[in-house]
Amino acid sequence: MSASMETFELQRLTVETGLALEETLLESICQGESRFGLVAWSPTDRALVMPRRHERVAGFPEARRALSERGWPIRFRATGGTPVPQSPAVVNVALALRCQVGSSAAHLEWGYHRLGDPWCAWLAALGVRYVDLGSAPGAYCDGRFNVRIGGRKLVGTAQRWRRVRGSRDMAMLAHGAMQVGDTPEALVAVVNAYQATVGDPQRFAAGSHVALSQALPDLAPEAALPELLERLVATPHAHGVQPVTGDRGEARS
Amino acid sequence: MTSDIRVPEDLWEGDTEGVITAWLVDDGATVAQGDLIAEMMVEKAQYEIEAPVSGRLVIAKEEDEVVAKGAVIATVET
Repeated sequence: MSASMETFELQRLTVETGLALEETLLESICQGESRFGLVAWSPTDRALVMPRRHERVAGFPEARRALSERGWPIRFRATGGTPVPQSPAVVNVALALRCQVGSSAAHLEWGYHRLGDPWCAWLAALGVRYVDLGSAPGAYCDGRFNVRIGGRKLVGTAQRWRRVRGSRDMAMLAHGAMQVGDTPEALVAVVNAYQATVGDPQRFAAGSHVALSQALPDLAPEAALPELLERLVATPHAHGVQPVTGDRGEARS
Repeated sequence: MTSDIRVPEDLWEGDTEGVITAWLVDDGATVAQGDLIAEMMVEKAQYEIEAPVSGRLVIAKEEDEVVAKGAVIATVET
């Protein structure tokens, strides 16, 4: 199975290949090979994906074994947060770009808006109401910059920042994982099973999540996705961080 | 002479604290300027931290320790 950074079409990849593609995307920015990149992929298999630090949690080996037996092997990702299920019901979009860091810039917030604002605009253009960025208490891997519909989490977002080789510039990878199908109950159950196995009392609520298929039952996600990707490419930069002039219309703001 | 390695002051808004998620070199190890030495997480963002100078690394904040903006997480003795 091959992965490509040359296309803005949705790629069907294993979770392992998709995560590796995102790392390749970030590294291409760090090596100075490109200044902007975007990939969209959806898994062909299933995994519970989390930062590697979770490996230090007591009970992790048992949880890894138990989840694998349920058909949800654990894999590690490079962005922050907590466990998230990946399956064919999820569409991932990652954008990476090179930034000149200013002394007063609020980089993380800028990165989340750079990814999330066009996502909200895309949903609004599809006719979805009550779309915004914010936290969704009770959701797994909650953060302050989920794409929400009516306060429920549709897209989880995370980032990774790395210095560009031989430069003061930074490379930012912003990632969004959108549940397009299945039910929130099904995916929340996987995360709660992990929580139970590692002995963490926190449980997550399906009611804090929403799938795109619930908001737009008649939408064919794959047909609508190119419009989202075009918006992510075309969005002008703002909020203080100066992107470096480069390919695909990236310009200093 | 020692050089401090600090959590960036301008990485995020507000007073949210971060956490050291990994040290990629051991306490007391020799590092070269630009080496990737640690990762921290704040606001679901992983941020890679490099050695600012070459020398001997002395870790001040352990893995999973909470850190604020500007906190010294290690020093490098040159």
